[in-house]
Amino acid sequence: MKPQTHRRPGESRWKGYLYLIPAFAVYLFFTLIPILETVRSSFYDWGALGKSNTWVGLENYLSLLNDSTFLKAFSNNLVFIIFYSFIPILLGLFLASLLGRFPIPGFTFFRTVLFLPQVISMVVVGVIWRWMFHPTTGPVNLFLGAIGLERLQQAWLGSFKWALPAVGSVGSWVQYGFCMVLFLAGMQRISEEYYEASSLDGANGLQQFFFITIPELKSEIGVALITTIIAALRVFDLVYATTRGGPGESTLVTGFLIYRTAILNNEIGYGAAVATVLTIVILSLSLLIRRLMTESTDEEA
Amino acid sequence: MKHFRNIFLVAMISLLALSSCLTAVTEEPMQDVVEEVNLLIWDQFYRPEESAVIDILNREFEASHPGVKIEREVKVLDDLKLTVKLALSEADGPDVSQVNQGRSDMGELVKADLLLPLNDYSTKFEWATVFSTSVASRNSFTPDGKTFGQGNLYGVSPTAEVVGVFYNKGIFADNDWTVPTTFEEFETLLAEIKAADVTPISFGSLDGWNAIHEYSAIQHLLVSQDYINDLTYGVNNVSFDTAENRDAAQILVDWAEAGYFTEGFAGIGYDDSNNNFKAGEGAMTITGSWFAPELMTGTDQEFGFFLLPGFSGKPTMAIGGVGVPYSIRKTTENPDLAAEYLNWMISPRAAELWAVAGMLPAMSLPEESDVKVETDNLFGDTLFAWETINKNNAVGHYIDWATPTFYDTLVAELQKLLGGVSTPADFTAAVEVDYAKFLSEQGE
Repeated sequence: MKPQTHRRPGESRWKGYLYLIPAFAVYLFFTLIPILETVRSSFYDWGALGKSNTWVGLENYLSLLNDSTFLKAFSNNLVFIIFYSFIPILLGLFLASLLGRFPIPGFTFFRTVLFLPQVISMVVVGVIWRWMFHPTTGPVNLFLGAIGLERLQQAWLGSFKWALPAVGSVGSWVQYGFCMVLFLAGMQRISEEYYEASSLDGANGLQQFFFITIPELKSEIGVALITTIIAALRVFDLVYATTRGGPGESTLVTGFLIYRTAILNNEIGYGAAVATVLTIVILSLSLLIRRLMTESTDEEA
Repeated sequence: MKHFRNIFLVAMISLLALSSCLTAVTEEPMQDVVEEVNLLIWDQFYRPEESAVIDILNREFEASHPGVKIEREVKVLDDLKLTVKLALSEADGPDVSQVNQGRSDMGELVKADLLLPLNDYSTKFEWATVFSTSVASRNSFTPDGKTFGQGNLYGVSPTAEVVGVFYNKGIFADNDWTVPTTFEEFETLLAEIKAADVTPISFGSLDGWNAIHEYSAIQHLLVSQDYINDLTYGVNNVSFDTAENRDAAQILVDWAEAGYFTEGFAGIGYDDSNNNFKAGEGAMTITGSWFAPELMTGTDQEFGFFLLPGFSGKPTMAIGGVGVPYSIRKTTENPDLAAEYLNWMISPRAAELWAVAGMLPAMSLPEESDVKVETDNLFGDTLFAWETINKNNAVGHYIDWATPTFYDTLVAELQKLLGGVSTPADFTAAVEVDYAKFLSEQGE
């Protein structure tokens, strides 16, 4: 991050950009052009084989506003933010302060085990949890039965009331390990002196957590918020592998709707419009969170 | 490794011998094809038993057509559906490919003018004697791709499917239950099975699609064949919101409420449900004949198959049809050769090989053959069921073909119906919204 000192006077800075060309080309062809192409398709009534494309302007976007399926899918995504983002961050903070502050035997073992769900492919996670939630042979119901809570047993993934929380909690299970590791790394940076000083002043563990750990972890929490909220908004594989949006539309999410509309039902233009809206929402939310995080950091400085 | 190679060699030699016999009986060996011709074929027969049938047929075709080399590419259906649309528009795309039936697949390809109409070949090879009109219309579209079920023929299907009832022979015998012959008897049997503390119908609706079969199998017993044809092909302005369709929904709900389906069925997937049935849980299950080969190996249970019986005094109609058809790319350089290949895939020889593998051929089996096809078993039951509806002209339809979004709508609305979130009247009304929207867009 230091200013460049070896540049001879008068030598052009532009030379540096040459080194960016290969990476930029990859970015251009595999990210920018597909995104622009998607945005362009969203203004067309575009069938599967592109022979009957007609320019329809904003029509796809206007029909989105009255499409109850899209609104339902999007509101499910908002519920997913609770499960994908808020719960994992709280859990991650809790576990990180348990594991990070006090050296316990087997620390590496616990950290690895708790991080494990994050490493497994989402489709595999889906398959595992479909089995976990199986109404008669799944461990979840068997466990409830074993502790005498038969009346809580459900056909989890098939229930209109429970399918969304069930799939959501699988998301929490996947995400919390990432948050925890992120916070653990952040906590190693916090000077032990803060804790010592506050102990001398008579602060207890809870106060230290709220007034030292959390403020010091602000940037990590920001990163965790951005990545997990993005994950919640673009969730596809988990729903695909567990419920395919059912029962009814109770677990339908925008990502799955895009796949269904554009790929399965050949309405490429409309699917592209849904995808564009989703991208805009994700981008603006990320920017907003970043803004909020930098502002509060600036205030402290 | 060496051992394996020997077996392979013996197999190849016997195949060659077999195919040279066949060359002798083939009527017109292609004389004009002497130079090397490659025929690129895409199919979705990926399961080992299926794939073996295709490999044998391909080798025999090569042997009877000197100079022709078949390059085969196997894909699973989902993958095929995604890639074939683009591949058929390429100059080096497959000469022959399986193309899924229905509006969103074959219909789109016809609309884009990528498939070769097969009418002339149908006359030349007399395919009308192989398939009934009802079967041929499933692979037919008008040249603009808009009207399904009439117009040009665009594909031929080698295999057939029928949806009916699989039953566990052991459980039936232990309880002196017999195969019902009317729908009334069937419902009495359901109650008896339930009273004996056995699951009457093994079912899982988590994956959604098989609930359409559960519902539509009952629907097929209540509606006329004209209705189901009109509904599927989108002609004559029929409605989904009818008394018969509501009655079928009511019967399905009654069964669910009476506990005739597996407990917690809403949270169980199709394969899980089938595995449980195979392991001996549940007296019956309602699904398609494609499940039969799986029930014939790897289980100590014995299974049978019957058509869901009709209401007394009413004809039986069953969901059924032919499997994914073979089509020809419009721009292929060898259309005649490709058509010969299609003709070979629906030959009596192909029928025989499919039957040996335990799968229903869409074509009739040869009258005389050296190959003994075992029919005193589950396969025989499914074959009998298919022949019955074929003979009685009672082959119904997969109703999810009716509109491009019908599958999604039916799955979601049936889950609501079975979950007690909506009533039979809500169900037919909601499905009709989708159907009416489609009809009005068609009319434009």
